[in-house]
Amino acid sequence: MESSSFLLLMSCRLLLAFTPIPLTNDLQRDHQLSSPLTSYSRLKEGLWFYQHDVDPYAGGVFRHSPLLLSLFSAVLPPVPVVWALSDMVGAWALVRIWRARQRVNKGPSSRDSLVAAAYLLNPYLLLPSLALSTSTFENAFVLLALMLASDGRRSPALLALAFSTHLSVSTFLLVLPVLMLLVTSSVSQLASPHPFTGSTWTAYQYAGEFAAYWLVLFGAASVMAGSGWGWVHETWGASLTLPDLTPNPGLWWYFFTEMFDHFRPFFLMVFSVHLVIYILPICIKFQHDALYASFLLVGILGIFKAYLSLADPGLFLSMFVLFPEVYPYLRYPIVTTLLHTHASLLLPIFHALWVTEGRGNANFYYAASLVMGVAGGAGVVDACFAGLRIAMGDIAQGERGKWEVVQE
Amino acid sequence: MGRKTAAFVLSLFVAPVISSTSNSSDSKPRFSIAGERYHEDLIIQPLRDGRVISTFTFTTLLEGVSPRDPWELETPAQHYTLFPLTLGQILREYSITELHLSLNAGKWNYDNWGYPEDPSVSTGAELWAWMADGGPMSIDERWTSLRNALAGLFCASLGSLDSRRTSSPYSAFPLSSVSSLKISFQYALRHATLPSEHVCTENLTPFLKLLPCKSHTGLARLLNPQRLFDADWHGLGVHVLSTDRGLELRLGVQAVLDPVRESGGKRRDWSFQSLFDRSIDAACPVSSRSTARVVIPDDDGYRLSPELLLGDKSMAIYDLTSQVPLDISMLWPNEHPFPFPPTHTGPLAPLSIKRALHGFSQTHGVLSVALSNNEYGDITIGYLETLPALVTLWMHTIKAEVRGTQRDDLISDISYHPSLLQSNGRYGPSVLQVRLTVPAKSALRLSIDITKTFLKYTEHPPDAMRGWDLPPAVLFPVLIDGPVKYMVNDSFVDGIGTRDRHRTIPHRMYTPTLLVDLPTPDFSMPYNVIILSCTLVTLIFGSIFNLLTRKWAIVKVEE
Repeated sequence: MESSSFLLLMSCRLLLAFTPIPLTNDLQRDHQLSSPLTSYSRLKEGLWFYQHDVDPYAGGVFRHSPLLLSLFSAVLPPVPVVWALSDMVGAWALVRIWRARQRVNKGPSSRDSLVAAAYLLNPYLLLPSLALSTSTFENAFVLLALMLASDGRRSPALLALAFSTHLSVSTFLLVLPVLMLLVTSSVSQLASPHPFTGSTWTAYQYAGEFAAYWLVLFGAASVMAGSGWGWVHETWGASLTLPDLTPNPGLWWYFFTEMFDHFRPFFLMVFSVHLVIYILPICIKFQHDALYASFLLVGILGIFKAYLSLADPGLFLSMFVLFPEVYPYLRYPIVTTLLHTHASLLLPIFHALWVTEGRGNANFYYAASLVMGVAGGAGVVDACFAGLRIAMGDIAQGERGKWEVVQE
Repeated sequence: MGRKTAAFVLSLFVAPVISSTSNSSDSKPRFSIAGERYHEDLIIQPLRDGRVISTFTFTTLLEGVSPRDPWELETPAQHYTLFPLTLGQILREYSITELHLSLNAGKWNYDNWGYPEDPSVSTGAELWAWMADGGPMSIDERWTSLRNALAGLFCASLGSLDSRRTSSPYSAFPLSSVSSLKISFQYALRHATLPSEHVCTENLTPFLKLLPCKSHTGLARLLNPQRLFDADWHGLGVHVLSTDRGLELRLGVQAVLDPVRESGGKRRDWSFQSLFDRSIDAACPVSSRSTARVVIPDDDGYRLSPELLLGDKSMAIYDLTSQVPLDISMLWPNEHPFPFPPTHTGPLAPLSIKRALHGFSQTHGVLSVALSNNEYGDITIGYLETLPALVTLWMHTIKAEVRGTQRDDLISDISYHPSLLQSNGRYGPSVLQVRLTVPAKSALRLSIDITKTFLKYTEHPPDAMRGWDLPPAVLFPVLIDGPVKYMVNDSFVDGIGTRDRHRTIPHRMYTPTLLVDLPTPDFSMPYNVIILSCTLVTLIFGSIFNLLTRKWAIVKVEE
């Protein structure tokens, strides 16, 4: 599978870790690239607290998992090469998913390097990685879980899934589709929908195994954090209660900045529950192709997650490369592309205008984040449409114009 | 008939007044009241730049009285003759061992004015209290009640000194006298500052009411609000100390007045009449000692009147009880006009302090403190930074520089308490305390990265664009060659032997306050944001469920 261009891409990414990059500080502070849950400076601050006997989870500064804290304090220092390696693992996992889906067993495939490039050269993923945001690790674990599940390797897949839900609690959305993927095949079934074929009982057993792994990680993290359950509130609790209102490209921060105090708990509940609502309908409708269901749920996370950073929609966009069969059925790919271009250009400009230059106000950036939301929504809705439309097949060349496929 | 009745009624009211005044005028003013002593003091110090520091101190001593035991539930009746009852009730109710309140306006210029007589020169309001722990009320309940009671007494916004601003920096604000206190108690400190509080006449009026002679006689006669609050720097101080002799209340007023400005830049001559627009007609009859002291300047050519009776070359002392009416004046007859000293004459304090927030962004910045040592020996000090949760310090970026080279070895004993979530859902202040060694004749630059918090729109005050005041940092004396220890009664508890080689500062010093501008949301937008965000959520949710639930069909297109 190791074609030369694939290896070239990988080594370029590795080299980049050793290259001094201008504006590294600005990248690390950028609110688009890392959120309070993934920011590198907060990671360093947590390490400083840990080394100076201050509780890292006091003061609402450090919101990373205790596992990352112990990794970077005991095993290796937080150096850029770790992020490069994580990116390479992610790209490799994406290529493996692609090969499993296309049943390419041996020999390099022509699209390997394209798939790897879609991950490594995606600016939404590369820039957060250069900013040393820990969302890079979260994305790599999601892809690893999907890859191992596609290969049918149960325990490693469930372990990777446990890691990814541990690092970012909203990844719980992916548990159901990954379990479905484990008991079915990863080969594209979009064109021929059929009822769920996997064994439900096996899926339950796998869920039990996943829960066991998750509890082990939870226990390990609690032991490492030491002082009580404060870390749960600071890490996972932050995704539910939004204590830090630092701007990001998502929808939560300005909504809860401007929210009336007495409605805050209600809308926090609405926004959290809203994410969960998508799991069942998408998994039921795409029960014949669990990988596509997880792809759509990654897209949902990339719009509605609390503490969104560009790495979240970036993962969705990179995963598009796995499903070339739906491309002909996309209704408005150009509009989606333009919306993303629009949003990714406006976000940094309006952010700078508001907080750096002091010329614009918060509404500018909010407007850009709404465009980002529309762009993400357009991508997910279009992918959802194309995933369903493909099953209806094409109308013969001569009959076009006479017949049309619609939804009732 | 009506006139007769009226005259009778009038006589009923007037007679006691007349008799009481005749009584008091009969008794000579030099009496002493059992168990209470009152004395007052004024120090006037002309400065080299023509300004005049006047420091008033009014001290009342309750002999043999110790602070209330917090476990003691029954409070005996309080009878005071000289001690202000309103303050005494507050101290007893919340069993306060030690209390310090200062209300100041302006920035104390240590370089040109030297150390103040009363070291509490923090800009705005500063309140700190030591309380013995125990009893039915917790320390925090007593602290809350204390600041509300003092807010009422002094008409100041001390109620705003809430848990967001309260900390317990023991080393910087030590208990003044340990020896007289019961060892069996645990003592707790609460300290808070409110840099945006401004001092004005409404604070001086209740302050003067605490004095036995109000502002009618004695030194307090000079406290003319129109002149006092026109000064370059002015402040009120209330200090309650538990000493070996009893409970001591020290009320102080400090002001830095500028006669050169008054005279249009021509002369630095001053007198009570010119500084305060008043002179002293009579001494306060109940005061056991009442002195006005003038610090004699180094330069010659001045003329002091009235002529010096007491004192030495450095200090002229006037006794109010024998020298009333009194209007001290100091003239420089040969100066036409007053020559301002060159600006770079050496600073009067051993350390010069600069503190600033760098960075133009509304999210990031660098807090930088430059400490210049003006002495020929290293100076070691404690540095205390108490910041409200509006600003997050990034401790991993702390660094010290001397002449452009990084010298992290000069920072030691770092103790940092991040802002903790209080039970009321608010974050308390973050407290950073370090020990710094400033090398001789050089400047140490301490810098820490900060970020500014994004607040909910309801958490911003009115006029949010003005920004928030950050409290001053405090430099405090430390024990050299050892851990930071308490300083008691201006002398260290133990181990003074090594003070010659290294030095520390004699008193607390305050840095200037800072103004931080936080990023603001649009305050008119809540409905719009809720509507727009919810519309987007509904749009995506609706589209996806529309796609997922509807059936597919192939329809014939009609021509």
